Amino acid sequence: MVRKNIFNALLLVALATFASCIREEAPNAECDILGIDEGWLELNRDIITGTPVIGNHSVDITVKEGTDCTSLEPLFILTPGAHITKDSISDNGPSGITQYYTTYAEDGIWRKKYTVSFTIQALINASQVFSFENFEVESSGRYNVWFEVDGYGTRRNIWASGNAGYAFLGIGKSPMDFPTATDHAGVKGNCIRLTTKDTGSYGNLFNMPIAAGNIFIGEFHSASAMGKPLKATRFGLQLVPGKPLYLKGYYKYSSGDVFTDKHKNEIPGRTDECAIYSVLYEVDPANFEKLDGSNITTSERIVMMAEIENPGTPGAWTEFRIPFKAMNGKDFDPHRLATKGYAITIVASSSKDGASFEGAVGSTLYIDELAIEWETEELK
Amino acid sequence: MTLVIAVSAMTMTAQDNTGKGNTTSWNIRLSAGLNLGGTAPLPLPREIRAIEGYSPGMNLSMECSAERSIKESPWGIRWGIRIETKGMSAKARTKNYHMEAWNTDGTGKVQGAWTGKVKTAVSNTYLTLPVVAVYNINSRWNVSAGAYVSWLLKGKFTGAAYDGYIRDQDPTGEKADVICAQYDFSNSLRRFNWGLQAGGEYRVREHIALFANLQWGMNGIFPSDFGCVTFEIYPIYGTLGVTRLF
Repeated sequence: MVRKNIFNALLLVALATFASCIREEAPNAECDILGIDEGWLELNRDIITGTPVIGNHSVDITVKEGTDCTSLEPLFILTPGAHITKDSISDNGPSGITQYYTTYAEDGIWRKKYTVSFTIQALINASQVFSFENFEVESSGRYNVWFEVDGYGTRRNIWASGNAGYAFLGIGKSPMDFPTATDHAGVKGNCIRLTTKDTGSYGNLFNMPIAAGNIFIGEFHSASAMGKPLKATRFGLQLVPGKPLYLKGYYKYSSGDVFTDKHKNEIPGRTDECAIYSVLYEVDPANFEKLDGSNITTSERIVMMAEIENPGTPGAWTEFRIPFKAMNGKDFDPHRLATKGYAITIVASSSKDGASFEGAVGSTLYIDELAIEWETEELK
Repeated sequence: MTLVIAVSAMTMTAQDNTGKGNTTSWNIRLSAGLNLGGTAPLPLPREIRAIEGYSPGMNLSMECSAERSIKESPWGIRWGIRIETKGMSAKARTKNYHMEAWNTDGTGKVQGAWTGKVKTAVSNTYLTLPVVAVYNINSRWNVSAGAYVSWLLKGKFTGAAYDGYIRDQDPTGEKADVICAQYDFSNSLRRFNWGLQAGGEYRVREHIALFANLQWGMNGIFPSDFGCVTFEIYPIYGTLGVTRLF
């Protein structure tokens, strides 16, 4: 009895000791733009199309043609305790404006640069070729990001990759270490090199033993990268200028030696395959929900799709031109097009089943000079 | 350490002498107790916002010791050998906790700021050799202080980071939600530990005493070059128990 009481007393002392060890909360170290004030968005509902895309260093807001963006002063929702200052504005003429901000954390130590762009929506130009010549090293200096530049010099962030997810593992130290990288030996100039990489013990920890190189039109939502990786790859943008006819470009491919499943167990006899495809799907213009890794090839919203079947392992640059086929019994509808009711993506991956972490480490896909041929009479 | 073992062995063969009034005697003692405490970083980093759960676990400690009293003096010296478990499990909530963890194959280091929950379960069984100086306050009370060395016989250190997010590199980096990431560092625990020990004993009967000890680990439970846990974690435990005096 005495012992039990003493035991309980000691337990209390131990708990009290722990509790008293909790030190005063440090001021917040984060300085994010978490969102844009709903009221402000509502006030500007007539000029803004779609939902603002908020990244770690960028906010992309699409506005309707003819909008005067110079007087737009968005109201940001910040990390509690953080504040924001506007540093400069660049006027990109007919394609919109870009505002530059710095956010400061409550702790006075951490700060972050943000680019807030108000962009007049520009569709994919009918003659546009994606040559992957526009890229830069992202702010942490480790991996590349790719973008397009329109005729006014305005940057269009239409390309995304899983590099930000791979960065968490700490394996990649410079751009060439990453699954999605630039290679200088393109068909013309640079091209994209996609490599299926090992993710090390921490990748295994999250049941993601490999990372396939990927590049796609859309958005990589890194917040989902570890918990729900299929939800991280958000495919497609409302950039459709007409009815797509062909997906074309150049590629070469070699498959890695050992094909493994999602538990990194070898599957003897199976060879890795690359994926290159384009999907056109229906969207609700008022509520644009992207297809993601879980449904990009299976959704009932898919209207047309072009995909290289049996891509093989060509060692030299190989030209392809593959037709878009109607899917789900749907026809392309010009009226839907006129209301921005379609989104399109182009996807390339060094392992076809990389999204479910099946593939062969070392598989390497090179792609360059991608383009979509559009039905011309649909173009204005 | 060899000396301690030799001395301990010697005391085992020493004459049992029950005369408690005899101040120059060897006394053999058998103790059983429970260890209660924490295996934790000290001080707790400021980024640990709350301890949301703590369970002391069932940690037995069995010790055989021999005490040599110094003639006509309240002082004595006590050598012991014990088998004991030091364990606990705890849940903590962290905010912007800087973490670095090497891939076990050494290919890279996950580095970032973790905001979320962490649970850890530790259960380490040691063979411990304590040596303490004893001061007899009166015929019932004595206090003791000294040091111990421990050899890890069996170790377990597992846990999980869950319900939170990690930011790549620092608090401004890309953010990824983490539902649950489990870890098991059992195989990386340090074999050798040492620390300081102090306590008191109260004799309730002629041959029975109750005691309480505090054992304060002086080296971390992981080797200092262990990259997965970048701060030192110390075992700090109290022992409560009963001693049978012969």
